[in-house]
Amino acid sequence: MEGNIRVEVLFPEIANLYGDLENIEYIKKSCPDVEVVHSHLTEEPEFMKRTPQLIYMGTLTENGQRLAAEKLTQYRDKLVSMIEEGVHFLITGNALEVFGGQIKDADGTCDCGLEIFPIHAKRDMMNRFNSLYLGKFEDIDIVGYKSQFTHSWRDEDASDEAFESLFETKRGPGLNPYITGEGIRKNNFMGTYVIGPLLILNPPFTKRLLRDMGAGDVTLAFEKEAMEAYEARVKEYSDPNTGFYY
Amino acid sequence: MGKLRFYIALWAAKLSIVALKITRHNGTNFPGVLALKICPQFLKYAGKPEKIIAVTGTNGKTTVCNMLLDMLTMDGIDVLNNKMGSNINSGIASSLIYGSSLSGKCRYKVGVFEVDERSALRVFPYMKPEYLLITNLSRDSIMRNGHPEYIAGILDRYIPETTKLVLNADDLISSAVAPENSRVYFGIEKMPGDIKGCINLINDMQICPRCHHMLEYEYRRYNHIGKAYCPVCGFKAPEYDYAGINVNLDDMKIDVRDKEGTGHYRLLNESVFNIYNVVSAVALLREMGYSHQKIQEFFEKLNIVGTRYDEEHVGDKTLYRLLAKEKNAFATSRVFDYISTLPGDKEIILMNSCQGDMKHWSENTCWLYDCDFEFLNRADIKNIVVCGPRRLDHRLRLLLAGVSEDRISYAEKEMDAPNKLKLFENDNVFVLYGTDSISLGMKVADKVLGMMKKGAGNREGGDK
Repeated sequence: MEGNIRVEVLFPEIANLYGDLENIEYIKKSCPDVEVVHSHLTEEPEFMKRTPQLIYMGTLTENGQRLAAEKLTQYRDKLVSMIEEGVHFLITGNALEVFGGQIKDADGTCDCGLEIFPIHAKRDMMNRFNSLYLGKFEDIDIVGYKSQFTHSWRDEDASDEAFESLFETKRGPGLNPYITGEGIRKNNFMGTYVIGPLLILNPPFTKRLLRDMGAGDVTLAFEKEAMEAYEARVKEYSDPNTGFYY
Repeated sequence: MGKLRFYIALWAAKLSIVALKITRHNGTNFPGVLALKICPQFLKYAGKPEKIIAVTGTNGKTTVCNMLLDMLTMDGIDVLNNKMGSNINSGIASSLIYGSSLSGKCRYKVGVFEVDERSALRVFPYMKPEYLLITNLSRDSIMRNGHPEYIAGILDRYIPETTKLVLNADDLISSAVAPENSRVYFGIEKMPGDIKGCINLINDMQICPRCHHMLEYEYRRYNHIGKAYCPVCGFKAPEYDYAGINVNLDDMKIDVRDKEGTGHYRLLNESVFNIYNVVSAVALLREMGYSHQKIQEFFEKLNIVGTRYDEEHVGDKTLYRLLAKEKNAFATSRVFDYISTLPGDKEIILMNSCQGDMKHWSENTCWLYDCDFEFLNRADIKNIVVCGPRRLDHRLRLLLAGVSEDRISYAEKEMDAPNKLKLFENDNVFVLYGTDSISLGMKVADKVLGMMKKGAGNREGGDK
């Protein structure tokens, strides 16, 4: 099965902040037979020709968010159908806002996402939010960071079925500081503000993702060392004496 | 009320200077902090030099500022500056307090100020530089600076419209700021070692700002620094008004050509980073009216700042003390690249965990995956000692960069790291410390130095 796995990275030329592309490098190093394809802004995305096992998009600048949303608007229906069909998506950092609705800036301007999920974001470029993150994905501890100008809120008229939270927060903020639900999960779509890079910082989650994608029970690249760093971080972040906000 | 507040703030801050002198706490930001606390608009009312030169940018601004300060001082000018304080609004306020009379009048005609790029919003509304030199804009602290487009946006918004900009044409991010302002560009023409593709993890200028197709580079130094053009719409980087040419690293010389002629300059350091610093300083001084001849004379007498780069020879071994800014992947990658180009076998003590963050939370280590640890995957780097709070993260990052396990050593505490060195024949040992671990870095380096001296002494004793 491993040889048939294809990962499509959306717009790596702009969606590459905060080491996020190393999520995919880690998959590649852990499963060398995985095929990684890059879809660029000025091309038709690969998913229009062949459905991949995983679509990935990482953190962008605010201008990058606009460009990505503009580009993907014409492919919205296909994205929705892939989410419904259970194609895996991993969307990290503020890229998740591209799949939501409006991004309202404190200066009064507004950008539009794809409106696939009923969330909206509030952005304040003069106040950057930084924190550590500790949460749960089912029975797996999740660690990482938040470093962003935005937070997201579920639209008032959104139904409970529209999406679930990806992680349940133990320490740090959820989609916004007032809730414990972090990220977006629908079928195999996973979107989260948590950066790290997420897959390198969370080897148990990565193993689970790869297994769900059909890669089998993979031994990750430098799994022993990754687990040691992960376990130390879980312990550190679980310590009430560890401050969580920058 | 504003002016009265200002005087109260000024006099209180002046008094604090006396108190600081008595208690031997010179060179702190406290007077500025106090003044801004009493009068938030202190910078608006404070007396300022007639001619203000500001330097900002992600990397190199301290070095360029120090060079400019030294050269203007060589010219006999008494220059007000913030060298001893910080580069944020409180540091600049402190400088203005030191430089003013009790009536608030500035005693200096010329000021050279290093301005933190993110602090532009707190400084430039009140201080209008005649010239602003922007060295470059690149990724820095994720928590504070976000990304370079964000910083460019701040500069766009707050640079005074009367300020003339001296910009790096080889950096498409900073060269595009404040497009309405008067400007000149500096850059370095094609030189040996240039490449066309990007070998770095950070590449923040990949698409054409006009048509969004992929940019290409006539030549590239590192990351997005180089001469870019768009093969689709014809967009291209600005032409140089001040062009670094004929870079000669054997003789450590560079020429700078402008519309009036060419000057011949001494390089202070072989790193490309510092070559840009030299060209930028020449460009600024030329704009101020100095002749090539005069600037050449200044350069002959300049030295590079010690805390950022230092080497010491003991017997057959060399110790390098190098600042590798923690949480700044771009700057640390430059250091790793620089080390990789030096001849000889090497060992590295990697101690740039962020000590400051460990005091109240835990470091955001995303930057490790923006940073080119791959430069350290070399046969001549025999041993890398990871240590300190983030040692497990550094070890994993090195492994993922391809560094083999047998070349990585491990010490919990920084002071134990020297014990993990092999100190082989003709060893070059690099102690890499961060901005908030300079003093710890010096202690570790001193320990290494002691071990080297002891080893050299033992060998001399043995030879007898």
